[in-house]
Amino acid sequence: MQAGQLSRIAVALGAALALAAGLAACGPRAEDQPLQLKGGVPVGAVLSLTSNANAYGQDQQIGLKLAQTWFQQRRNANPQEALELNLRLEDGGGDEATASQAFNLLIDAGVVALIGPTLSQQAFAADPIAQRRSVPVVAPSNTATGIPQIGSFISRVSAPSTEIAPLSIAKALQLTPSIRRAAVFYAQDDAYSTSETVIFQKALTDKGLKPVTVQRTQLNDQDFQNQISSALRESPDLIVISAQAVDGGNLIRQLRELGYRGAIVVGNGMNTPNIYPICQGYCDGILIAQAYSPELDTPVNRDFVALYQEAKGGAIPPQLTAQAFTAYQVVAEALQRLNQRQPLAQLSLAEARKALLAELLGGQYDTPLGEISFSPDGEVLQQRFHVAQVRMQPDGRSGRFLLLP
Amino acid sequence: MVHLLQILINGLASGAVYALFALGYTLVFSVLGVINFAHGAMFTIGGYLTYLLIGGAVGANGLLAGWQLPVSLPFWLALALAGVGSALVGLGVEAVAFRPLRQRNAEPLLYLISSLGAGVVLVNLVQLLMGAESYSIPASTLAALPPALALGGAQIRTVQVLLLLVAALLVALLTLWLEGSRGGKALQAVAEDPVTARLLGIDSGAMIRLAFALSGFLAGVAGGLVGLSVSIAGPYFGIGYGLKGLGVLVLGGLGSVPGAVLGGLIVGLAEALVPSELSGYKDGVAFAILFLVLLLRPQGLLGKPVASKV
Repeated sequence: MQAGQLSRIAVALGAALALAAGLAACGPRAEDQPLQLKGGVPVGAVLSLTSNANAYGQDQQIGLKLAQTWFQQRRNANPQEALELNLRLEDGGGDEATASQAFNLLIDAGVVALIGPTLSQQAFAADPIAQRRSVPVVAPSNTATGIPQIGSFISRVSAPSTEIAPLSIAKALQLTPSIRRAAVFYAQDDAYSTSETVIFQKALTDKGLKPVTVQRTQLNDQDFQNQISSALRESPDLIVISAQAVDGGNLIRQLRELGYRGAIVVGNGMNTPNIYPICQGYCDGILIAQAYSPELDTPVNRDFVALYQEAKGGAIPPQLTAQAFTAYQVVAEALQRLNQRQPLAQLSLAEARKALLAELLGGQYDTPLGEISFSPDGEVLQQRFHVAQVRMQPDGRSGRFLLLP
Repeated sequence: MVHLLQILINGLASGAVYALFALGYTLVFSVLGVINFAHGAMFTIGGYLTYLLIGGAVGANGLLAGWQLPVSLPFWLALALAGVGSALVGLGVEAVAFRPLRQRNAEPLLYLISSLGAGVVLVNLVQLLMGAESYSIPASTLAALPPALALGGAQIRTVQVLLLLVAALLVALLTLWLEGSRGGKALQAVAEDPVTARLLGIDSGAMIRLAFALSGFLAGVAGGLVGLSVSIAGPYFGIGYGLKGLGVLVLGGLGSVPGAVLGGLIVGLAEALVPSELSGYKDGVAFAILFLVLLLRPQGLLGKPVASKV
């Protein structure tokens, strides 16, 4: 084929592509089309089902499934009481790119709201996409400072570290008043950990315990011998860790193996029973603040605990599962109220998203976390917080988060 | 003084893992002159096989959710068998990703791509079957031993001492075999000049397969040991070691067994020398050293300079 022929074909192809793109741009926007309600109201969820963060995603996935079951039971009892949702779950991996891709995919598919992503680090990348496309986001587990401030469409049901992190420090000092020397560890390449450690360090300083050493780690670190031997030279009697489940679990195991016997306070990143296989028997005794109590005696929490125990052989539900259940519940109840006020079938996708946001933020919700509502900027307003201590079984394979009085 | 000793111990402990990892790389490089990017996948598979052979159950997410082998072997036997399993995987990688290209005298770049592809497929297969969750080899495996040992005031985890000892033993055995056996000398002859080796009656194809099997064995054992030390952090946990192992291989000198050991220990010590408050930057320090060494000795510390053909 001659070079001239090739260039003519290339020009023709380019022109055809440009024309196609132009026609697509001139066509009606998906957001202006009526909301597609076949199979239920489309709602998206982006959870970390792969990568190191899957330890959280597993807990959250169960929470969403239980919420679907709970609403199905309510719908069976009274079809008018609960709207049917069509939940589309996408894997957000453990990185920003995968979560952003999943957000884009679900938004393009026409979901009316999004639940997720799992990690704060991902939220700072993915939430602006939803904000630009005017899609309400309810975060079930992002606790870093500044998440609702990403934009007006972003809210969360996970209480921020600023609220709950200091509680575990106070409890550690209450249990061991002789604590004088605190060492701090945090994962420096993770938005949640860097945000939470600031709060931990301020809480320590407020109690007159300026950290004797601050050790920085990375999420992918597995061997912490350098940082631990350096920290132990300072003879700490309290160690405060902001890390995620796998790296934090390894850190605790190695701390104990290298002879540290003092108190350990960990942040929300380790708030999952999936740490048990990592630190095993060495998990025993760590303190962690909780935004959820399985002992809360309300109808919805009793239902939630019963559903969880039925699904998991009598185990006690963790906080992340309760928060994911709550995120689904909040979206479902807001949609139900909106539909009663103004039938969703009469709204375009863009109108439904906007109206849902107002409904979401204006509502009061009786959830497994207790009664919650939202501030105008999307921050969860929650009353009850707790501190738990991990208690491992003698075989080191299973344990529980025991709420402390 | 104790502080310095602690740094030395910390460096040796992590350096031993890097050295063990780079040894497998270097074996394949020495006979084929190309890097096997599937090595990290074999490391991963070694960790998973060890976990399964000691009776570990598959978690909730893979196709094999809840499944476990009907046997529960002692850790050291499981580790050896995991090494054998990884060696078989190594042979499979050679047959699928290397042999067809070798038979066509393909460009070295194609080997990199095909081995990278084989590695990605293997890791994805592990994820499909066993899910992406972390697995741990129970700490009680070493319950008869104290969790840590004190050496002159410095502390080291017992599992890391074992890791060092196994790495040293494997390096010694490999060196003895390479230098003192007919098989080892045949492998070196193929590495030196495959055409002359063939004229001397050495089956170079068999030697290449042997190099892949040994390389897989070393990767598998390293994966199992690291799994015991710090847990198996999902199917991709070998990939991070793969990048560092590649640096170690180049630092020590491509294709040099003593170079791989020296490179591993240097990288481990360099990381340990980074102040712990700045240890988040230890990878940068390790690769900066690699860069400096390559500026001064492009062939690596113990590598042979390659004469360019004109």
